[in-house]
Amino acid sequence: MSDIVRTYELTKTAKGKTIVSNVNLRVKKGEIYGLLGPNGAGKTTIMKMIAGLVLPTSGEIELFGKKLAETAKEGLKRVGSIIEYPIFFEHLTAMQNLELHCEYLGFYDKKAIRDALGLVDLNGVEQQKVKEFSLGMKQRLGIARAAITKPELIVLDEPTNGLDPIGIKDMRELIQTLNKEYGITFLLSSHILGEIEQVADRIGVVRHGRLADEVSMPDVRQMRTDYIEIVASNVQKSVYLLEHHLRLSNLKIVQDNKIRIYDASLSTGEISKLLITQGIEIEEIRKHTSTLEDYFYHRIQGGDRLD
Amino acid sequence: MIKLMELEWRKLERKKVIGELIIYWAILTFLPTFFLKVVFADLPTADFNQSYSNAMALMLPIQMGFVMFGASLINHVFIEEYKNKTIALSFGYPISRKRLVTAKAMFIVSAVFICTVISFALAGIATYALDRALGVIAGEPSLADIAVYAFRAIIHSLVVALSSLIPLFCFGLWRRAVVPTVIFAVAIIQLPTLLGLIQISVNPDAMYATLCLLGLVSACLSVLTANTLGDL
Repeated sequence: MSDIVRTYELTKTAKGKTIVSNVNLRVKKGEIYGLLGPNGAGKTTIMKMIAGLVLPTSGEIELFGKKLAETAKEGLKRVGSIIEYPIFFEHLTAMQNLELHCEYLGFYDKKAIRDALGLVDLNGVEQQKVKEFSLGMKQRLGIARAAITKPELIVLDEPTNGLDPIGIKDMRELIQTLNKEYGITFLLSSHILGEIEQVADRIGVVRHGRLADEVSMPDVRQMRTDYIEIVASNVQKSVYLLEHHLRLSNLKIVQDNKIRIYDASLSTGEISKLLITQGIEIEEIRKHTSTLEDYFYHRIQGGDRLD
Repeated sequence: MIKLMELEWRKLERKKVIGELIIYWAILTFLPTFFLKVVFADLPTADFNQSYSNAMALMLPIQMGFVMFGASLINHVFIEEYKNKTIALSFGYPISRKRLVTAKAMFIVSAVFICTVISFALAGIATYALDRALGVIAGEPSLADIAVYAFRAIIHSLVVALSSLIPLFCFGLWRRAVVPTVIFAVAIIQLPTLLGLIQISVNPDAMYATLCLLGLVSACLSVLTANTLGDL
C-alpha cells in the first residue's frame, strides 16, 4: 500500500514553545488512520499542518508523494478537511458555501454539490443560511464540503465532537461508507476512543507533541490482555492452590492481597469455587478486559507494555 | 487574480457593505454643498464659493472620507476572517498565502477606487444641481473645469484607494484590531487639519504622494509577511 501522507521530522514551535516535535507519520492509501492523544498533545496542529492551514517550523510533509510547500500546494486539491470545528461563512447559505469551496478549487459541478448534500442527508436545506444550522448539521455540511470533490484524503479533527449518539453513529457510518465505497483515505482524531476503535485501521499515539507510537488495530487487539483479578485474604495460599489445583502458571501477585491470572480459559466461577472450598476469603473477583482505552492510557503514561 | 477578487466580494456580507456604502455616498454627495452654504458662507478667508475651480479644492479632501470605507473593508476582508477563522478555509486551498493576501488587498483598492470615482461623480452632479437651485457658487463651470474635475477625480480616487491600505499591515494583518484600524483611517482623513493645527505647512500633492507610498509599502509588507504574520 502506497503512502498518501508522510511527514519527516515535522516540527512546529510558536511563541518559543514546541507544539509538535519531529513527527514522522505515515498514512497509507485507503486506510483510516486515527490520531490519539490528550488535549494539548499536538494532534490538531499536526492535522493543521497536513491540511495546509499552518506552516511547519521545520520538517517536511509529503502528500501523494509530492512535497507540500507554500509554493507547491497542488496536493491540497486532493484533500478535504474539517479541523477543530466546521467553519463556514455563516451569513451565506449552505449552497453558497459549497459553491465558494468548489470555485476556490476550480471545480464546477452542480450535480456533485447536490450529491454531496444528499450523501449527508441535507437535501432541502441548501438555501438555508448556515447560521441557522445546528452543530450536527454543520458537521454533516462540513463532511459534504470535504467530500464534494471526491478527494483521496479527508482530514477530520474530532468529527464527533458535540454530536448526539445518533449523530455519532451516522458520522461513523458515513466515514466507513466513504472509505469503503469511494476508497477515500481518512486521517482523524477523536477523544472518544471507542469511536476510533470502531473505525480506525491504524492509530498513532501523540504525546507531548511527539508521535509516541504507531500501531495497527489488529496489533492492538493482539496486545490486549484479559485477566482475572482476585482480592483475597491469603495471597500465598491462593497462589499455591491456583498453581497446583488448576495448573495455572500465568499469574502474578500485584499487591499484598491482589492476584492477576492471565488465562482467559478459566471462569471466575471455577476459581472462586476452588478458593472458597479451600477456606480462602474472597473480597473481590472480577474479569478485566483491556480496551483501546487501556492501551491508549498506557502509551500516554509512557509505559512499555500493557500489564 | 480577478477570480480571487470576485470570490472576496462573494464572501462578504454584501447587504451590510452596500448599506455602508450608501451612507458614505449620501453624506459625501451633499457635504460639499453643506460646507459651501453653511460652514464657509460667513468666513471671509474661505473663497471656495468664488468659482467652480475654487470649489474643486474643497471637493478633493472631502472625498478622502472613503479611506474609512477602506478601513471597513480591511475589517471585513482580513480582521473578521481571522477572528471567525474563515481564513483557515482559504489557507486549505491550493493557493499560496501571498496570492491570497494580494487578492484581498487588490480587492480593497479596486472597491475603494471605483466607489470614490462614483462618489466624485455624484458629488459633482449634486453640487451643480444644488448650485442651480440655491446659488452657492459664483459663475458657471467651464468645460475646462469639468475636464480638470474628471481628471483630478480619477487621480484623487487612486490616492484615496492607496491611502486606505495604510492601516492594513499594522492593524489588519499583524494586530488584527478593528478600532485602531478605524482610528488610523480617521487620522489619515484628518491629516491636513492635524498638520494645520501644529502649524506644519505641507504641499498637498506631496502629502498625497506620501500617503500613496505608505499605502503601497503597507500592502507590500502584508504580502511579504503573509506566511509569518499571516499564519493562524
